[in-house]
Amino acid sequence: MAITPTPEQVAALIGAPVAGIEALSGGASSATYAVDALRPDGTAWPLILQCAATGSVPEGGLPRRDQALLQQRMHEAGLPVAEVVRVLEPADGLGEGYVMARLPGEALAPRWLKLPEYAAARDGLTAQVGAVLAQLHAQPLALVADLKLPTGSTAEALGKMFANYRRFGVDSPVFDLAFAWLKERVADRPADTIVHGDFRSGNFLISTAGLEAVLDWELAHLGDGHEDLGWLCCNAWRFGLWDRPVGGFGQREALYAAYEAAGGGPVDRERVRLWEVWGTLKWGIACLQLGDDHVSGRLKSVERAAIGRRVSEVELDLMHIFAKGDV
Amino acid sequence: MAEQIEAATLIEAVAGFLAELEPELKGRRAFHAKVAQNALAIVARELAQAPQAREQALLAGVLGHDAPLDMLRADICKGLRAGTLGQGTPGLIAALLQVALAKCAVDNPRYATFRRLAV
Repeated sequence: MAITPTPEQVAALIGAPVAGIEALSGGASSATYAVDALRPDGTAWPLILQCAATGSVPEGGLPRRDQALLQQRMHEAGLPVAEVVRVLEPADGLGEGYVMARLPGEALAPRWLKLPEYAAARDGLTAQVGAVLAQLHAQPLALVADLKLPTGSTAEALGKMFANYRRFGVDSPVFDLAFAWLKERVADRPADTIVHGDFRSGNFLISTAGLEAVLDWELAHLGDGHEDLGWLCCNAWRFGLWDRPVGGFGQREALYAAYEAAGGGPVDRERVRLWEVWGTLKWGIACLQLGDDHVSGRLKSVERAAIGRRVSEVELDLMHIFAKGDV
Repeated sequence: MAEQIEAATLIEAVAGFLAELEPELKGRRAFHAKVAQNALAIVARELAQAPQAREQALLAGVLGHDAPLDMLRADICKGLRAGTLGQGTPGLIAALLQVALAKCAVDNPRYATFRRLAV
């Protein structure tokens, strides 16, 4: 279990007084807290503390220390990312994690995608996220050479995803068709770019002015930058707004134009389509994984069991792509 | 009517009970009560629509032989993994699209892609 911190502990961590701590979310192995601290001049210093039991690495993800360092370097490089204030050390006794700035904004995509007060923010968002991805993908690998970012060629990554699918002992003709489709088309590209790995509408912090921050860097890895462009356009992140393929708020061509205008290099339409199929399949396998939490008894819950049935949505999206060209 | 209380009637009764309970629950439990009602609605649709019979007929049509559904699925997957079946296999794409539609009609008929295709 994660350890619940006291205000005194957090104050010692950041070297500033702490007025309050509120648990925002907690799981079996990690927890997030809102911390209200005070700066030396007495003004409010809103922070987030993320901590987890020692040694618990997020599924397929980055050790938390490396995640914090990556986030901090991206912040310093000028990307919209919350500043990391303090990385937890073993001597702190709070497990693994970090303290970062708590920025104002709405993180629940179904809210900012639909509420009228975010209309102006949505209008500018496609250009903003295109430019952010261009900037991220332009960062030199030397910047992260000391971090344990997972890496591997696209062919290796496809092999890993297939092995993951087979773990569940499920035979989905649609998933196997998608694997065959990908195998035929995937070039064995080297991993030469920093990829966010979970760049979707659910991981944006949005104010009425637009994008405030890109959240959740725990699936960052080295790979093909087109992966981020494709993942962002998967139907699962549109929350029903299917005719706006970019996260439920924009059009693909506008995204690619913004990416290219910001120096992201030419967007290969076939390759980005491949990553949309890949991303759709990846979300489908995540649904299998969540369903397996229930079936295996690891986490028995009606919610996990029900998510297993969302595989049908993914199968239909994939068949829509194969029968009609895209979704 | 074969029985006074058919399976669908029991599902409806249990879903009604959960709906009654829901306002008394908070947080995660209230959310799970909603999810549970959705899960029962899936079961009710599956009983009414029998998508597996349709899937079995469609897959048997592609393969040219009949077998229990699990075996048909496994045969299609094996063929796709080995490359003996593929996008070019006559009727495969059309059959898998129909299977996916039949499954989504049960699991989430409100899904955007389902509504686009079902019109």
